[in-house]
Amino acid sequence: MVTAGVTDATKTKPRWRAVALVVLWAGVGVGALLLLAKSVQNSGEFSRLQPWILLLNLIGVIALLALLARKITQLVRDYRAHVPGSRLTARTVAIFGALVVAPLLIVYLFSLQFLNRGIDSWFHVEVKQGLNDALVLSRSALDLRVREYSRHTENLAHSLLDASAEDVAHRVYEERRATGALEMAVFGAHERVIAVSLENPLESLPSRPPADLLRQVGERRAYVSLEPQAGGEYLIRTAAPFTENPSRRDDRYLIAIYEVPTQLAALSEAVQHAYSQYGELAALREPLKSSFRLTLTLVLLLAMLAAIYGAIFSAQRLVRPVQDLIEGTRAVGKGDFGTRLPLPSRDEMGFLVHSFNDMTKRLRRAREEATRSQHVVERERERLAIILARLTTGVVVVDRELTVSIANQAAGAILGTDLSAATGRALPDLTAGNERLGQFVAALAVRFAAGRGEWREQLDLDSASGRCILMCACTPQPGADGEVGYVIVFDDITTLLQAQRDAAWGEVARRLAHEIKNPLTPIQLSAELMRRRFLASMPPQDAEVLERATRTIVQQVQTMQRMVNAFSEYARAPEMRITRFSLNQLAGEVADLYRPHDARVEIRLELDERIDGIEADRGRVRQILNNLVINALEALDGVANPRLEIKTRFEQGGDAKYAVVTVCDNGPGFQRELLSRVFDPYVTSKPKGTGLGLAIVKKIVEEHGGRVDADNRPEGGGRIRVVLPVTDSTRSGAGARDRRGELRREIV
Amino acid sequence: MLRAGQFIPRWVLSSLILAACAPVAYADALDGVLQVRSAYVSVEGGVFSLHARIDYPVNPVIRDALHDGVTLTVELDTRIERERRFWFNADVVELMLRRELDYHAVSDRYLVRDVRTGNQKSFATLEEALTDLGTVEDWPVLTEPQLAEGSYRISVRAGVRRGRLPASLRALMFWTDDWHRVSEWYTWLLPV
Repeated sequence: MVTAGVTDATKTKPRWRAVALVVLWAGVGVGALLLLAKSVQNSGEFSRLQPWILLLNLIGVIALLALLARKITQLVRDYRAHVPGSRLTARTVAIFGALVVAPLLIVYLFSLQFLNRGIDSWFHVEVKQGLNDALVLSRSALDLRVREYSRHTENLAHSLLDASAEDVAHRVYEERRATGALEMAVFGAHERVIAVSLENPLESLPSRPPADLLRQVGERRAYVSLEPQAGGEYLIRTAAPFTENPSRRDDRYLIAIYEVPTQLAALSEAVQHAYSQYGELAALREPLKSSFRLTLTLVLLLAMLAAIYGAIFSAQRLVRPVQDLIEGTRAVGKGDFGTRLPLPSRDEMGFLVHSFNDMTKRLRRAREEATRSQHVVERERERLAIILARLTTGVVVVDRELTVSIANQAAGAILGTDLSAATGRALPDLTAGNERLGQFVAALAVRFAAGRGEWREQLDLDSASGRCILMCACTPQPGADGEVGYVIVFDDITTLLQAQRDAAWGEVARRLAHEIKNPLTPIQLSAELMRRRFLASMPPQDAEVLERATRTIVQQVQTMQRMVNAFSEYARAPEMRITRFSLNQLAGEVADLYRPHDARVEIRLELDERIDGIEADRGRVRQILNNLVINALEALDGVANPRLEIKTRFEQGGDAKYAVVTVCDNGPGFQRELLSRVFDPYVTSKPKGTGLGLAIVKKIVEEHGGRVDADNRPEGGGRIRVVLPVTDSTRSGAGARDRRGELRREIV
Repeated sequence: MLRAGQFIPRWVLSSLILAACAPVAYADALDGVLQVRSAYVSVEGGVFSLHARIDYPVNPVIRDALHDGVTLTVELDTRIERERRFWFNADVVELMLRRELDYHAVSDRYLVRDVRTGNQKSFATLEEALTDLGTVEDWPVLTEPQLAEGSYRISVRAGVRRGRLPASLRALMFWTDDWHRVSEWYTWLLPV
């Protein structure tokens, strides 16, 4: 009876049933006692109740049998079905049953034996013989008296045959007094009283002669009888006809009643009483034994059935908590910690059940705690996943064999591969076709092979797609099963370093502009002054020298001034004038401007009509396009079939819109070692280049919140891509930077 | 839910109950005629007296039992009811005349004794004794003041059983005692 708690209904039902059974049996018991009491008091009443008593007992036996059969059927069914606790119940019932039935049977058999022998002992042969002898003795003693009185009566009757009526009366009176008879009377025909003498003076009539007496004297025969009286006395009634001769017509007869002496009568009555009692008991011997046997058997049956039923009932009650415990344990095994068992009692079993309930309570709490902790961990994991996904820093967790367990999106973006499906795979298996990832994996492998668990270094990855500088930190992470994992955190600091370099160059340029530009003018003015003042007064030969020298000074100063101006241009950060204009139109204008410059170069335009206008500083964007076109045209110098392409494309990342301008040529392309630094000032592979054109492009693009990349086309030639936000709000929005990062990854 | 009837067939139950009642319904020892042969009531001086003739069974078993010392108790139940049309009859009188029949071994005579009065008569033969027992004369059963309007039904039934058993023994022996029989009721309307 175990579920998540035991219902009150299932608990109440057996209790009511038990109470009903107890009341029923108590009623039957009280009824039986009342019947017994009544039977002892009133045997007549009892005889009427006999069938009911028998029926009641039979009903009791049948009811017990039915209950027992039901219990045993249920027990066998449970045993076969391997119901928990059924074997223990069966064993307990067997033990209880044996313990109860064996003594009952012993007592039963002993009682039967005792009763048989006890009843038999009442009827010894000697007793019977003694009684018979006593009876014969009593009869003999009485017979003497009877014969004596009978003979005396006969003699008296014969002697009165010829006597006169007065003599008869006198003789009767005298004889009665002489013999001590109670009554003496002479009757004639038709029971006519002729003479009578009574001992009791109050009585006047003799007692009525019995029929058999009259019949016998009518046949002229003497009569005698010994008649027991109610008080234990004996009367001897004798009668004799006056004559036995039937030929004589004399119907008179004498009746005399004598009393047996008191002592003899008492002794005879005692013998009679004993004989009668013994006879009655002897007649009852077998029925009595059968009754005892039947009664005992019925009692045994009732007791045995009740005992076995009680054994089953008790065993089931005893085993019930164990069954509950088994079911409860199974429920707990299935994860149902809400199981509560009913407390059976306050004994050890109750303590056990209490402990079980306490245990399930603690387990439930522990599971709730574990669930809560799991939820917390899952929330933390989700939060970490979100953080990892939002991080621009790459995070990769690998084991000693470089098998990936965690990798965020930024890691894939930095390493130029998609690591979203890399979980469970080894990093070296993902390096095919990705030179940057291969270098990264090789760097990790070298450090792990050297046994270095925790380190922080800058990794310089140089691939065809460009140079990439990673600040990489590795931390060992102990795993749950003793395996050591590594958390590798890395960030692409290429841009940062570039920005630092840019800032440094800007400072250099500003100082150069400030420190160099100032003395140049006095130098030039001094040279021109020297020329004007001394050239005319000097001899021609010296004048020529002076003139050549001053000219050289002025030219070089002017050259230096241009250089300083360029530096100044690079360093200064004028205020931008943002307007909305057509980028495609501007690209067309720039192309038209440079077409006449070199007719050999084919300038192609491929413009995306979706870009109707961008918000930017038009002059500076024109400078970007000018510098890029100039850079490309210089690269096409000496190239057969030079071709220059200017493309615009509209891109959208989330809410942000971008215009991408790509300028590519079919020239020699960028030198690989310079590829990562093409936007640095004074980095150029051209003999006539200042090295500031692309640096200025980069500076202007970044001022617009854009980005510029350079690489080589697979079919040959350089390619520079400029990404500019279409709207000014995109440029200033914080979120836009992230979206620009996404866009950057898409573009790359 | 299983019921008792599923375990014990009805015929078995019926047989058991019949077997329980068998000793009451039939008795081997008292085999023979037991009946109220005739009965009538005479009224004299406002007293209703019952007169009846009853046949009691006679057989060697009874004779032997008497000779062994067994006492037979002979009872005559008399019941007078007032008839009611729409309900059970009302009991007016219920009387029992109880007498005992013994064999007196010392005197070789049969004794008939009235249990209530203690009067005793002796007979030389069993037949004479039974004849005396089967003759009821002038047994006052009712007086006129006990009667009201309506009709009355008087019933007489004779019974024989082995008597003088101690009550405790009788309690034990009730189901093996086949010395108990009663006659059918002899019923007639009381002449009021």
